[in-house]
Amino acid sequence: MVKFFQHTFKYEYNWDSVTLAFWLRYPNPFASHVESVDVIDRYVDPDTGVLRTTRLILKRGVLPKWGNGLIKKPEAYIIEESLINPKTQTMITLTKNITHARMMQVEEWQTFRVDPNNREFTQVKTEARVISNFGWGLTERVEGFGIKKFADGAAKSRKGMSHVLEMIREKQLLRGRGFLTI
Amino acid sequence: MSQSIGRSCDELKKEYDTCFNKWYSEKFLKGDLRPECEEIFKKYRDCVLNAVKNKNIDKLLGEARKDDPF
Repeated sequence: MVKFFQHTFKYEYNWDSVTLAFWLRYPNPFASHVESVDVIDRYVDPDTGVLRTTRLILKRGVLPKWGNGLIKKPEAYIIEESLINPKTQTMITLTKNITHARMMQVEEWQTFRVDPNNREFTQVKTEARVISNFGWGLTERVEGFGIKKFADGAAKSRKGMSHVLEMIREKQLLRGRGFLTI
Repeated sequence: MSQSIGRSCDELKKEYDTCFNKWYSEKFLKGDLRPECEEIFKKYRDCVLNAVKNKNIDKLLGEARKDDPF
């Protein structure tokens, strides 16, 4: 298992809003290749009070972040697993490709916590790891898939989230002023 | 709202997502952990799992879910 990408980011929105935006993040203008999102499983653990969710995401018309001429059919299924603990205000997510997984499987882990310096902000730590690589030399694969490509993809994800967060905020403001009753 | 993998599940998905989003922000985040939306979730989920099977990705999905990552 090789970690090849790590990043910390701060959303200037509170933790409640950011986790809600996580559920609402598709569709957004920066994620034009996401074709469908479905909840496969979801339950609250009665002992821990933690919300556990599994979602299946289909992306079309785009190669995986690490695809560089190896993949013919531009269709990718991704599984997204998450844990949300509202008492500790911690959300952990894991996203990985399930198609082309024998060739290359990449896991993206994210941890969402209240920003230690500002209770109204949310800190997100992102880490990406290669899980399988078809027996090829790991260095070549890591270089091959272009860390920059991954970083660009991660930046797009943040833009998408920010877009949705802004929409949530606008809706809340409208509701607060009595313009929206829902 | 996003689409479902099974186009015939879109309506059920919309109903479920709406229920969940409301429950999540108004109940769960405020400390009320009692589950809601269970009936609509069952219907929606059945539809999705059927679509998953029809697209032949049920095995892939099953494999991916074998080990609990947390």
